[in-house]
Amino acid sequence: MKFEDTSQNLRARLGAINVLVVLLLAVLGVRLYLLQIVRGKYYAEIAENQRIRLLPIPAPRGVIFDRNGNVLVDSRPIYEVILSRQDLRGKDLKSLVQLLSAGLGVDAEILRDRFDQIQSLPAFESIPIKQDATSGDISWVEAHKLEFPELRVEQQPQRRYPSDGTLAHVLGYVGEISPEQLKQQVSRDKGLKPGDIIGLSGLEQSYDDYLRGRDGYRKVVVDSRGRIQDEIETVAPQPGQDLVTTIDLDLQKAAEEQLRNSSTKRGVIIVMDPNNGELLALASAPTFDSNLFQRITTKAGRAEYTALIDDPEKPLLNRAIQSRYPPGSTWKIPMAVAGLQQGAITMDHSNLVCGGGITIGNKFTRCMGNHGMPDLRTAITRSCDGYFFRLGLKMGLDGIVAMVDEFDLNRRTGVDLPNEVAGWTPSREFKQRMQPRDPDWREIDTVYSSFGQVYDIITPIALLRTVAGVGMGGKLYVPHFVKEINPVGKPGEPGYRAGRAFQPLDSSRPNPKVVPIPEDEHHLIVEGMWGVVNNGGTGAGIKMAGFDIAGKTGTAQVVGLGKDIGKNKDHSWFVSYAPAFKPEISIIALIENAGFGSQFAAPAVRGVYNVYYRKTRHEEPPGAQVAKAKNAKPAVTKAQEKKPAQIAQTH
Amino acid sequence: MVAIFEKRTLRDFDWLLAFLAIGIVAFGALQIRNAQPTETFWVKQLIGLGVAFVAMLAIAFSDYRRLLNIAPAFYVFGIALLVLVLIPGIGLKLNGHRSWIRVPGLGQFQPSEFVKVTTAMMLARYFGKHRHTALKLKELAVGGFILGLPIALILLEHDAGSVLTYIPILLVVLFLSGIQMRLVIAVIILSVVAIPAAYWVGVKTHLVKNYQQERINVILDPQNADKRGFGYHTWQSILTVGEGGIFGARASSEHSQSSLKYLPEPHSDFIFAVTAENSGFVGCILLLLGYTILLSRLIAGARRAPDRPGMLVIMAVVGGLAFQIFINVGMALGILPVIGVPLPLMSAGLASLVATFIAIGFAISVRLRRFVN
Repeated sequence: MKFEDTSQNLRARLGAINVLVVLLLAVLGVRLYLLQIVRGKYYAEIAENQRIRLLPIPAPRGVIFDRNGNVLVDSRPIYEVILSRQDLRGKDLKSLVQLLSAGLGVDAEILRDRFDQIQSLPAFESIPIKQDATSGDISWVEAHKLEFPELRVEQQPQRRYPSDGTLAHVLGYVGEISPEQLKQQVSRDKGLKPGDIIGLSGLEQSYDDYLRGRDGYRKVVVDSRGRIQDEIETVAPQPGQDLVTTIDLDLQKAAEEQLRNSSTKRGVIIVMDPNNGELLALASAPTFDSNLFQRITTKAGRAEYTALIDDPEKPLLNRAIQSRYPPGSTWKIPMAVAGLQQGAITMDHSNLVCGGGITIGNKFTRCMGNHGMPDLRTAITRSCDGYFFRLGLKMGLDGIVAMVDEFDLNRRTGVDLPNEVAGWTPSREFKQRMQPRDPDWREIDTVYSSFGQVYDIITPIALLRTVAGVGMGGKLYVPHFVKEINPVGKPGEPGYRAGRAFQPLDSSRPNPKVVPIPEDEHHLIVEGMWGVVNNGGTGAGIKMAGFDIAGKTGTAQVVGLGKDIGKNKDHSWFVSYAPAFKPEISIIALIENAGFGSQFAAPAVRGVYNVYYRKTRHEEPPGAQVAKAKNAKPAVTKAQEKKPAQIAQTH
Repeated sequence: MVAIFEKRTLRDFDWLLAFLAIGIVAFGALQIRNAQPTETFWVKQLIGLGVAFVAMLAIAFSDYRRLLNIAPAFYVFGIALLVLVLIPGIGLKLNGHRSWIRVPGLGQFQPSEFVKVTTAMMLARYFGKHRHTALKLKELAVGGFILGLPIALILLEHDAGSVLTYIPILLVVLFLSGIQMRLVIAVIILSVVAIPAAYWVGVKTHLVKNYQQERINVILDPQNADKRGFGYHTWQSILTVGEGGIFGARASSEHSQSSLKYLPEPHSDFIFAVTAENSGFVGCILLLLGYTILLSRLIAGARRAPDRPGMLVIMAVVGGLAFQIFINVGMALGILPVIGVPLPLMSAGLASLVATFIAIGFAISVRLRRFVN
């Protein structure tokens, strides 16, 4: 340093500055080391994740066919408005609600729900805002691209169901996976994510894993505003597996028509092949439009849905498997089998007193007629209550419970539809629950239990399986809708999904379950049931010459048996199979609150047999006109009041 | 005589310093191109380098003593520019700061960058007198005034970042002008103790506003800060730097943080993050090493300066540069809050580039005259 420096140690101060400068730069170097060397991989991953997005390409679901190759459900492409979470940064979602709701006609409440949902998603997800977008919606989105860059229009396959509600309860419907379902481990294992369309009911739900395709995706690079800059790879979607069902569309339509034309328009008809449990038709009325669930994001759709939920007639309920009814006199068929099995009656001595009813304590329970001392065959044909009161007393509660267990009447049938319920059947516990003020089981309770009232409350499908099983000599098959699941792709190729034939969901239960019925006993009971239709019994009105129907009528008490009080009339039952000694088809009908079984359910069953007969015999069914005339007969109430004698017969 | 002078000039010219500066600018231009491949910033930067180099030569071959003698004129001219900027119509508002002047044909430039040099010259001249005693209070006040005037004007532009880079210029000059050591130590201790304490009191009494706290929190814990709001810039910069790894990111340049616009201002304020993404730890350390050599070389020049004003003007430049580098890189590495100051020699920007080269030109001029008495 050339200039004088007396006042300070300038050299040292310059040195200090030099050291400080190097020190500061060293601090930066250390920090660099931490960021790039120590945690470099970690940050690289985060940076990559924020620019890579997977845009799903939805796969179409499998088609559902009936047994003859008719399409029951398929998918068609529709447009959908999607909100992607890209670039929602800094945007107040709440402020979007009003604008989007007005612009796209989506319910504001629904939008708010969606926006809450979107907060909890990983960044690459998108959420449908409006399904089935109209061309107006699409041009609205186009026109507002600058305001709402997060909106996109995408093609999406949509389910197309029969619009008149045909098969609604069987096919079920699809919809978006709910937040609750998403939380379940099962959903996570399957890789389901918000916005995914899954089966929510019916076969769509039961066979969702097969029907659901595998979504493809586009792997894209997006900039900070979520605009797609580049596409890295595309994986094409793979459609779901097709389902070939056992349904016969003609029989299904016939069954639904019968219910539509019934007096209360509420009821069930099930058609089953007793030889293997294949369900040819299952109708539950009233029905609904499965397509509704894909319109649910619109105001009108939501209103429709609310109306459906609030409807006192409960159209969403599949009455065949989800409603329990007292089976009335149809209960006498398993009773007859069990009575012989347990030795309460024998082939040689099957006669019991009718007595026009029975007195237990000081209470008289009447039979609808006086049948003297009939044998089992006559008791079934004439539906003699007095006979079965005494048979029930001979079997006792334990005998009835044994019968219930034998025929699985207190269990689900295992039908391949979700949410089947099990029946309620006689037991001491059941009585305690029903009548806590009089909890002890009494003889009168056994009497009630022996003819299908009060303590016998079962589903139509369980009853059909039992009676069809009796017709098959004791072979009870698992009722089911699926004949075959078709494969996708070829074996060995990637993405191959194997097809398979029907397998019961619960493989631990035998199929068929065999109830041992000796040949002579079987014959006796079938003769009784044959007589119901063909030998002047309670179902004589539907007789078809040359096509022997074996059946049993039933009238289930709602308030009091035969006490016709408006809305709470008795339920009308008819359960049958045909031909009587070589069954190939079995049909059950239940008409809610209609009245006697012979007057309502039996003609409905006959209507379906007519269609079956035409299909299989290729000729007009015998006596079809008679049945039609009977079916159309009005003013039933008056007839009942005037002719009490006929009531006993028709019971 | 002329020939001898020129020979000696060429021999004594600090080629290392000049080439180091040019090298860093060239490297910077490459990174600017990486940051904004579709824009022409990098071309402008190379043109700017030419302009700056000429300006540096002009200053280097002038006698710095004569320039320092007319420092007050430069200083007044600088202040006039800062006033001009504030006049709507002349001053241009970019990014919320009214700190640019539009020059027809050339585009716009930021006078505050030049005024840094004129202020440093003014300070060097004032404190460059022969010194026998410790710094007097009056000198302190005058120094404060020389610095305070441009700072006040820049604050009117709402450009707090630039103001920050002025302060070390005065601090260095004061430090080298015989300010008592105990005062320096007292100030250091006081700030170490008082700043956190004041912050703590401020938080407790709600004098420090929520958003201000948020900015501090971002630095203390960027991982858990509001990554979409206040913490966005810092977080994205950390990601960009981290992604670079040892030798630079694997992602192709079209998919880089800057080209996808995750990183804001990649060609100017966040050029260091871009450098880190593209050239990795190796490139960054080499750049920091380049700065270290450059600054050390300047300090070495100051040690050999023939007179006090020469030494002071170099050290004022060193203080300004070092501090600005630390602030900018610290911000990119997420250890300092986001302050909009350019990285000297790297960030795109004509004014900053030319001003820095002029400052280096001064240093070379001082060095050239080290044997002249």
